[in-house]
Amino acid sequence: MLRRLNSFMTGLCRAGALTAFAVLIFAVLLQVVGRTIGTSPVWTEELTRFALIYLTAFGVGVALLTGDLVNVDAFCDALPGEWPRYLRMFASAATAVLCLALLPGAGKYVKIGMLQNSPAMAMPMEFIHFSVWLLLAMLAAFGILRFCLDWARIDYRRPMTGEEE
Amino acid sequence: MEVAVLFAVFIAGLFIGIPVTITLGLSSMAYLLFSDIPLVVMPQKIYAGIDVFVLLSIPGFILAGNLMNNGGITERIIRFANALVGWIRGGLGLTNIGASMLFGGITGTAVADAASIGGVMIPGMKKAGYPADFSAAVTAASSTVGPIIPPSVPMIIVGALSGISVGKMFLAGAVPGILMGVGMMVTCYVVSVRRNFPKQEWQGVGEIGRAFGGAFWALAMTGIILYGLLSGIATPTETAIVASVYAFIVGAFVYRELPLRLVPKIVTDSAVSAAAILALVGFANVFGWILVSERIPQAIADGVLSITDNPILVILMINILLLFIGMFMETIAALIILFVPLLSLATAVGVDPLHFATFAVLNLMIGLTTPPVGVCLFVCAGIAKLPLTPVVRAIFPFLLSNLIVLLMVSYIPALATWLPTQILP
Repeated sequence: MLRRLNSFMTGLCRAGALTAFAVLIFAVLLQVVGRTIGTSPVWTEELTRFALIYLTAFGVGVALLTGDLVNVDAFCDALPGEWPRYLRMFASAATAVLCLALLPGAGKYVKIGMLQNSPAMAMPMEFIHFSVWLLLAMLAAFGILRFCLDWARIDYRRPMTGEEE
Repeated sequence: MEVAVLFAVFIAGLFIGIPVTITLGLSSMAYLLFSDIPLVVMPQKIYAGIDVFVLLSIPGFILAGNLMNNGGITERIIRFANALVGWIRGGLGLTNIGASMLFGGITGTAVADAASIGGVMIPGMKKAGYPADFSAAVTAASSTVGPIIPPSVPMIIVGALSGISVGKMFLAGAVPGILMGVGMMVTCYVVSVRRNFPKQEWQGVGEIGRAFGGAFWALAMTGIILYGLLSGIATPTETAIVASVYAFIVGAFVYRELPLRLVPKIVTDSAVSAAAILALVGFANVFGWILVSERIPQAIADGVLSITDNPILVILMINILLLFIGMFMETIAALIILFVPLLSLATAVGVDPLHFATFAVLNLMIGLTTPPVGVCLFVCAGIAKLPLTPVVRAIFPFLLSNLIVLLMVSYIPALATWLPTQILP
């Protein structure tokens, strides 16, 4: 059950990060090609920035599992027995608590965005501000997931994707 | 009181192994709660920290490096480096260092360099009669050149933190990177002569030409990146994405060693690596905002200046602090946390920000090869199938060489600032 949940969440977020990166690459290439043959659309730079923030929102949770979100492990990994696992569980819980505590504030930030549109694409800023809410929600979800995986002694450090399962 | 809470939570979080990004968030949240400041500030600051123009180039540079790394460049670069220096005593060690310097100009990451070049060179060196500990040590030490020679993610981060252009930062790393490489080559040669390591036959100018031909398309990426940035025709983001497309074409269609089915995985892995860095920058923006509001950088500068305002001593103190922190903390995390406070101190004694940024990055790179958290050390000891201790012993002469270069770059500003001021005045 936990393995399947891990696979599902990781696969979903990796797909989101891939899509955001693809949008970023598309926007930048359109900008370069447009400028080379004439003028590039004015909205490409804005789209690139938005894609970057969504890339971060989708990728950060997976980064917590893969270890890309670095920690200072010199002390805790040197501890005997089960202590490293307990400390990892504590770190996962702390991640979830932090992000859950920040979610209401992020919700308010999303509402502030309702009053504005982005200058070039005229996109509602609430959609853009939502990326920060998503980032925190993903971190909280993966924090809880990592806590449960450590609790169940399931090795999650190998990146898992849907196709590998 | 609030500042004490900020630092207490921060240090405790690091100590018990909470990710640095989350530790920055927890300590900032604790500060805000104690100061009665609404938490809605944090999401705003996280957003503002990530939404920085220069940072847009990070995913592209990571992707370009990963595509090249999977696209068959390693053997070609090693062959070219071997044709150039393999005939000197200790030739395979020199090849290893030369390959790292060339590799650094393409991928810009030390760990990728240690894993890719180490995977080929460490077994090769062992087979040729080199001791395993020396083979692992020379690979680990030389991999630190990668993020000094452009392109370099740490240099982009420093550019974002200081407002210095990415082009200038990249150029500032070029001379110190070459100095580091040459210093390690001299060290390798001296060790090789003393321990009578083997050398290979001179293979002739023809082999240099053939090997260069093989490596040309990979090496050209450094040229494309520098041309894009320095000519002003492209932004760092555009340069990074064009370099990624170039790396894809070279790997898939020129070298034909990049399996197309792997590309989505490489793009996604690069996105996850970039997301980790960007989230760190976002949370650090909240922490940094608190530090600046509490005038902590100024207080650090004033505190140190009350002891001494001698630039030589201040630079030495900064270097010792960075070396110590670099032993325990990952480079980018250490840069993000320490760069701004230490920049205030450095500029207060008249150090040019570009000069400071260069020796700070160089310093933290050395931490990749020092115990207990030297990532490259672990990677290379793993490939050589050795425990850490013999590799730590064998890396000592190279560490010394890198420290000498660090002191040179720290006290001779022109080594960092001359090239950027010549090309981008």
